[in-house]
Amino acid sequence: MKPQRWKEIDRVFAAVLELEPDARAAYLDKTCADDTELRKEVESLLANDVPESLMGHQAFEEATRLLTPAAAHPPRHIGPYRIIRSLGAGGMGHVYLAHDEKLNRPVAVKLLAGYNLAEAERIRRFRREALAASALNHPNILTIYEIGEDQGQNFIATEFVDGQTLLELVKNGPVSVTKTTDVGIQICSALSAAHAAGIIHRDIKPANIMVRDDGLLKVLDFGIAKHGEADGSPDDQSQIRTAAGAVIGTVAYMSPEQARGLPIDQRTDLWSAGVILYELAAGVKAFHGETPLDTMAAVIERPPLPLSAHGHAPEMLEQIVFKALKKDRQARYQTAGEMISDLKQLAKNLEAGDEKAMRSVHATKGPAAALTDNEKESVDVAEIKTSAPDRVSTSSEGNREKVEEPHQAPRSLNRSGRNRKLILVGLALVLLVVIGLIYWSYANRRPQISSIAVMPFVNDSGNGEVEYLSDGMTDSLITSLSQLPQLSVKARSSVFRYKNNKDASPQQVGKELNVQAVLNGRVIQRGNDVTLHIELVDVKTETALWSGDYNRSMTNLATLQGEIARDVSQKLRVRLSGADERRVARNYTANAEAYQLYLKGRYHLLKVTLPETQTGISYFQQAIDIDPSYALAYVGLAGANRALALSGELPANEYMPKAKAAAQKAIEIDDTLAEAHSELGLTMLWYDWDWNVSENQCKRALELDSSNPDAHMAYAHLLSNAGRHAEALAEAKRARELDPLNLKTNALEGLFLIHAGRIDEGLDRLQKTFELDPNFWFAHLFASSAYSEKGMFDKAVAEARKARDFSGGGNSVSMAFLGYALAKSGKQAEARAVLKELSKLSATRYVPPYHIALVYNGLGEREQALLFLERGYNEHDPKMAFLKVEPKWNSLRSDPRFQNLMKRVGFRS
Amino acid sequence: MPEPSPQEVTQLLAAWSNGDRSAIDKLLPLVRDELHQLAHRYMSRERPNHTLQTTALVNEAYLKLVDQRVVRWQNRAHFFGIAAEIMRRILIDHARRHLGAKRGGGNTISLDDVAVVSDERAAELVSLDDALTALAKVDERKARVVELRYFGGLSVEETAEVLAVAPDTVTRDWRRAKAFLRRELTQE
Repeated sequence: MKPQRWKEIDRVFAAVLELEPDARAAYLDKTCADDTELRKEVESLLANDVPESLMGHQAFEEATRLLTPAAAHPPRHIGPYRIIRSLGAGGMGHVYLAHDEKLNRPVAVKLLAGYNLAEAERIRRFRREALAASALNHPNILTIYEIGEDQGQNFIATEFVDGQTLLELVKNGPVSVTKTTDVGIQICSALSAAHAAGIIHRDIKPANIMVRDDGLLKVLDFGIAKHGEADGSPDDQSQIRTAAGAVIGTVAYMSPEQARGLPIDQRTDLWSAGVILYELAAGVKAFHGETPLDTMAAVIERPPLPLSAHGHAPEMLEQIVFKALKKDRQARYQTAGEMISDLKQLAKNLEAGDEKAMRSVHATKGPAAALTDNEKESVDVAEIKTSAPDRVSTSSEGNREKVEEPHQAPRSLNRSGRNRKLILVGLALVLLVVIGLIYWSYANRRPQISSIAVMPFVNDSGNGEVEYLSDGMTDSLITSLSQLPQLSVKARSSVFRYKNNKDASPQQVGKELNVQAVLNGRVIQRGNDVTLHIELVDVKTETALWSGDYNRSMTNLATLQGEIARDVSQKLRVRLSGADERRVARNYTANAEAYQLYLKGRYHLLKVTLPETQTGISYFQQAIDIDPSYALAYVGLAGANRALALSGELPANEYMPKAKAAAQKAIEIDDTLAEAHSELGLTMLWYDWDWNVSENQCKRALELDSSNPDAHMAYAHLLSNAGRHAEALAEAKRARELDPLNLKTNALEGLFLIHAGRIDEGLDRLQKTFELDPNFWFAHLFASSAYSEKGMFDKAVAEARKARDFSGGGNSVSMAFLGYALAKSGKQAEARAVLKELSKLSATRYVPPYHIALVYNGLGEREQALLFLERGYNEHDPKMAFLKVEPKWNSLRSDPRFQNLMKRVGFRS
Repeated sequence: MPEPSPQEVTQLLAAWSNGDRSAIDKLLPLVRDELHQLAHRYMSRERPNHTLQTTALVNEAYLKLVDQRVVRWQNRAHFFGIAAEIMRRILIDHARRHLGAKRGGGNTISLDDVAVVSDERAAELVSLDDALTALAKVDERKARVVELRYFGGLSVEETAEVLAVAPDTVTRDWRRAKAFLRRELTQE
């Protein structure tokens, strides 16, 4: 087409568009006359004149998407992790809060910004170093879970830390000397562990350090941080010039050798730690310039102003910071350990309020001279320390730890007094302690062991698929051993917390679980053969009391745990009656295949996610198909169905009847099975709302097995919901004693306290739960409840958000609590948005009406709240069992309709 | 290539608005990098799913790149015009490369190409680009209107400012251009 011709067509087209549709034909007749081609053109254009947008949407959004690295548009999944929300962008790429579906825990996933293939070498090196760092296991170092690749994008999954970076801390001006010292000790502890493993951080700066609310500090990005921005090669310089904004933060924490492009070693990290401490104490940066190059010049050439120029600072802190900031690294602290020991001395002095002592530290003296002296002395003392126990001929490892303490004394005395005589005093002290220990161990030789923890057996088969076997055998043995009288066996969930912490020493476990011995085991499965090696270890001496090997074929496994339990009881010299013997040796099925299927079912059930629970159900069902008299498999089936019904994501009236039938069947097969009665009690509590039958079942379970923590917890829940708070709390406490590290038990005890009106005690218990796992969503949910009751709605909102995020996002109970808290804090619109979200959710899956009622009640919409509660009643929503004790309903209690509802749920007034 | 100074950017803009189409080849990488950085910063600051404020983004890029002391007010409009052209190029290049790689054209696609444009969408965009080129041959102003509105995300008023015409003209051009393009797209 020629432009001229188009002009003509366009002119006619424009004119026609101005006309009413029914006038157009006449106009075209007249204008086009016999130019039929023109008329056809205009008519086809008219046919395409529709009031729609060009391509359905604006191209601009798409183009900006291309401009932006893919990481800014959260994918739904990265590897095995489901993305919940963005946490922000770091030097290397975008960071997301995600949910590990397999292990059911929150994780942080860092997606590396779209590197292209040309950077393959960089990626390779990055992976290598991240891998090395992932082996670091230290409370102050962020744990790396996985370094992976998903659709060509590299990612790192790490522990999720809920807190702020030091950046936010330093922004608000100087912090106290105590805090500064504490931060210093924690950073240096992390560095010490990393340096021992040969890993240098190279980019210690406030943005790479996170502080949790409880004060625990985590250093991030070991071995990898630097790769995001610069790679330590001389052409870093150009990067500083062209992308000043991007690197300016780093320059201020660079060591002089780094700034000069010299090779670096671990001392560069100690410098950076010094810069941070300076900034914390002074409230201003140690090195600062107009441009990055000016800052670098300051780093290389100028010492910062003394801390005292910015306000009061103890001399000792000044000395520590300036020793870390020696331009000559020979004069600096040589190891993180040295810096820690000075910081610890300062902390001690601060605690004692001893200003004078703060003034003297060996850092003041000529560093080189002081060092040699000190080193010499500590070597002397160390020799005494290690040789002393040998001389008095004790080989017990447990003693060594105790011996170390007196050696600290002469060393620190030595610093101020520098008197040789003191070493002798130290030596005498060491000997005294050693003698004392020998006497003690003699007097306590062969103590009776009355409490043990069976640690998760290690699967040494080199095959992850048989993990169900090692886990299951541990599980079965715990059950068998729990039957022993006079022996307290820690429950499964407490010991399984150590599954991912294999470095925990028997001493540590003994202390944390309050047991005298631990039982370790290794399982090797090859074809049809299974070998189990177990070892009973005294936690005080860390020596093996006994060990044994068991070889079995897979078809013979079912009887194994009874045998082990008998051997263990013999070694522990627990006397067994005939009935005890029978109970311990009891195996619930003679069929090896059914037993294995049962173990698989348990393995999946204990992963606590919905899909895993459903997998568990199918295994239990298969076990039952093979051995229809397998009572424990029915218990498993009951538990799994109950878990689905209580998840709040599936309709209870579909799963609870199945749970009930399975529990009844288990009792029918074996009336002496405590777990079966416990399960039946729970279905009666949550579904039938038959409080009497429920109580009888719970009591029967405890009669049969008074050391079963789950049975105590079931009963506690019933009592709490019934408003019998004192009894409930006693049961919960007993459950916690048996299963101290069980997160759910701890959190629920907090909830029971809150429902008993003891809000602050409840919060204390939740705080203890957070010490076990700061990201446990249940505890955050209950904390939201507690703050709502205290009228602290902002905190209630924040906690509910955490519960929502940490549970994998979008579960309706946390949303309900969030909506309630928002409504109560006056954020009506946001509360309504939550309500809308809930109703949107209900289109795709079950949402308990009770949860919707909660939000309406928060909004003060009494009618709607009652309407949804009524629906909850009709649908047998298990949460209705909370009606009596949930304080959020207090505003409705005087309403006769609410009272009537309560009556129907089985509560007598 | 050394980065042009703000003065040079301003000169390039002037050259471009005076009809020197080659100026855009020098401006393109520069503006694209700036938009890239800004977009990244916006997206990381905002919650996911947040849509970028088109004009705010382009405006910020403009303020950063152009020497404020010597600019004439029209420069801003010109800059928006360039931004639209850049957006079009980015998107269409991407779509073409995507299709090329799909057909096994031997191109290696870089990592950041993964999973952004669907096959269908890429084909649509390429046809639209062809149709727009056909339109530009017979009616350059209407093609510019489409480019500014569709690829640049500009409002009617902003488009009018860039093209120095009345807003009504933009509205009418837009309607007729759309009919033209739609016909081209559905004809085959």
